Amino acid sequence: MLSIVGFFTLALAFLLAAYGLLAVIFGLVQKTPAWIESARLALLMIFPLVTVSVAALLILLAGQRFELAYVYSVTSLEMPLYLRLTALWGGQSGSLLFWSWLMAGFSLFFALHKWSRDADLLPWALLVVFFTLGFFLMINVFFEIPFERFWHFPDGSRVVSLLQPRGAWLLTPQDGQGLNPLLRHPGMIWHPPALYLGFTGFIIPFALAISTLAAGRNDRRWLEIARPWILIGWVFLSLGLVLGMRWAYDILGWGGYWGWDPVEIAALLPWLSGTALLHTNLLQARRDGFKRWNVVLVLLTFVLVIFGTFITRSGVISSVHAFAGSEIGSPMFIFTALLSLGSLGLLVYRWQDLQAGYEPAFGFNKETLMLFTNLILLSILVICFLGVIYPIISELITDTQITVGPAWYKRTAGPLFILLVLLVGVCPLAVWSGTNLARLSKRLRIVLPISLLVPLFVWLAGGVRHGVVLVSLWLVGFSILVMAADYIQQVLVALHKNQGNFWLALGAPVRRNRRRYGGVLVHLGIILMSIGIIGIEGLQQETQVTLSVGESVELSGVTFRFEALEHHEEEARWITEAVLSMSRAGEPVGALYPQREIYPNMGLAVTQPGLQGNLAVDLYAVLIDWRPISQDEATFRIFYNPLVSWLWVGSAMLTLGVVVALMPESARRKLERAAKSEVISG
Amino acid sequence: MTTTGSAGSKNNRIKFIIAGGLFLIAVLFMVISATRATAEFFMTVGELQQADGDLRGQNLRVSGAVIGDSIAYDPAANELQFTIAHIPGDMSDIQDSGGIGEVLHRAVNDPQNPRLDILYQGSAPDMLQDEAQAILTGTLNDEGVFIAEELLLKCPSKYEEALPDQVEK
Repeated sequence: MLSIVGFFTLALAFLLAAYGLLAVIFGLVQKTPAWIESARLALLMIFPLVTVSVAALLILLAGQRFELAYVYSVTSLEMPLYLRLTALWGGQSGSLLFWSWLMAGFSLFFALHKWSRDADLLPWALLVVFFTLGFFLMINVFFEIPFERFWHFPDGSRVVSLLQPRGAWLLTPQDGQGLNPLLRHPGMIWHPPALYLGFTGFIIPFALAISTLAAGRNDRRWLEIARPWILIGWVFLSLGLVLGMRWAYDILGWGGYWGWDPVEIAALLPWLSGTALLHTNLLQARRDGFKRWNVVLVLLTFVLVIFGTFITRSGVISSVHAFAGSEIGSPMFIFTALLSLGSLGLLVYRWQDLQAGYEPAFGFNKETLMLFTNLILLSILVICFLGVIYPIISELITDTQITVGPAWYKRTAGPLFILLVLLVGVCPLAVWSGTNLARLSKRLRIVLPISLLVPLFVWLAGGVRHGVVLVSLWLVGFSILVMAADYIQQVLVALHKNQGNFWLALGAPVRRNRRRYGGVLVHLGIILMSIGIIGIEGLQQETQVTLSVGESVELSGVTFRFEALEHHEEEARWITEAVLSMSRAGEPVGALYPQREIYPNMGLAVTQPGLQGNLAVDLYAVLIDWRPISQDEATFRIFYNPLVSWLWVGSAMLTLGVVVALMPESARRKLERAAKSEVISG
Repeated sequence: MTTTGSAGSKNNRIKFIIAGGLFLIAVLFMVISATRATAEFFMTVGELQQADGDLRGQNLRVSGAVIGDSIAYDPAANELQFTIAHIPGDMSDIQDSGGIGEVLHRAVNDPQNPRLDILYQGSAPDMLQDEAQAILTGTLNDEGVFIAEELLLKCPSKYEEALPDQVEK
């Protein structure tokens, strides 16, 4: 019964999207507002309907109703409740439903927003939303149906079908296959939803940009409406990526967090264009410039989101993330192509009308630096895209598949990332328009010498001789110092103003301009994250050894001693755990417990690294193999991962920054306007 | 706000184009040099045997079926030697010939099939066994032996299929 409810609410949602699409087209052609209003009301209904459908599937998953093919494929009796619920996005059809539900949630914005000044945008925005949402609902209704059940006939044959075939009985398996063990991790709770929220959230800026183009407007109103949504989409995308890194680091056991897997790159691409968008967005808000940049970047970001979804779900690329071969490849390809070509066509058609009202002057100013930031971000984007399609292109041209791996990305994208760190540091030194070299040299005189202490310290105390690492850490120190100097100056000004109340003055700059200091916090977060990346890319040490019990190995001054190998059995899995005690110069510093879990029912094995870390270094061990108990010999891969914790610290800082920037502020708008006019006149 | 005249504006734009162009040329140069240094040619054992000579020093990626009897590990030198047999490089060819398991089985048992000797620094992973699929990254030496830097194994018949075990140098 529940599966029928789930399916029919979903089908109804799809029909409403189809109706809405037709109603909008009719309304646009006939110029009848009543049709548009009817479409708006239809949109209002879609989210509650999909919510019922999602709730039905969640109840079925929690209730272990294995007669459903989906429930059977992603859950099993021994899985705890939280994993049974997260199994909603553990398989193709369920995760598509979850995706549609989130997108329907974001789409509510268009039904609820007060459009008074911008009534001309609504019909086009609705058109985009119904087309996109309708497509994903269609996939769920016709191709990947999460509510299909098992049936068997008297002759013993079995089918999977939504409704009861004539003469068939419901087949209820005793137990399900269960979720892939790699997905049985707390990371499963946060990583996919964060990423999906980031992806689907970009429907709002995208639909607003398309509607502005289609309605023939060239003002910046759409960006004003879209700005908070761009930030929200961006921060979820960032979090989704970082949570995925953390998950990979915790469970995949190759000692790293990022493998340049095509699907990882597919999620990075919209993040790169979204980051570029955050910058030019600011420039159009301040002045009327960069109109084309903004439109191009919004369209590009959403097209990349859809492209990423296509890559992951169509089975064109095999990877850890990709869903196994499926029949939705062709419809997804057609949809991706239509969306891309439609956006491109509209953009070309309206290109001449997007003349900017202002052109930045070349020089050491924020506009020029931001333009270069974007150029770098887009270069990284093109490089990553090239890396993904290189094997396909090379095979077409030379008949030999040529692949590029992590080493290639490190050499191409790596220097560009370092350049970004430099720009983050330099940007606060520049002013809006013009070039103020006096201010620059005044700051540099203080900051530059102090920043050189950072690589010096790392050289002397840390014994690091790696040139690229020293330069990168110097840039990191430089960037942080520039931000700190800027903040201290603002505090001093505030201190002067309110006669020495230090604590009040300390928070004054943030209170006065949340958006700006939210941005500073985000940049600080990025810089801290880069410390972690520099640590693991430049300073990681690793070794692979086979040890007998009692033997030890040394890596970077830490002695790892193989103490014991233990086997035990837990619910549906066999666990082999090694104990490695660690000491530094004779002093014990803890122990690592790398494990290997075998799921005999599923015939799968999972490696769980042993990990112990602090802000300075992570000690990380993987149990690769072991000999029979009589010999008590095991093979380990041991990693010494300096600074990697900063990656997680930085991402928390980045999130905090976005929250600060988005926080509502009663007197904020007034102050902002004042600040803006001040800047423009100054 | 600075308003620039048409002549100034043109000058200004040229500065942007020159600076941006120089940057893009640098990026392009970086991409080309990185591709020369690190790109890997994905080849089958058969293709390697035919092309040999002009591939010295080139980064290669080769996939083949492990011949169980050939596996030899020297614990003193921590060196692993084995031989792989040719399998088709194209996924659809493999599907057409009855799936990867069938292809591996036939590859190992056909003495006419081109073979390639592998040398790898490191211990033998437990998945290295007869009829496993090995994906190797490395270079070809002067004797035509493949010096593997990275060794990736897949066992289609076994449970490890979904979880490629990776061993790197």
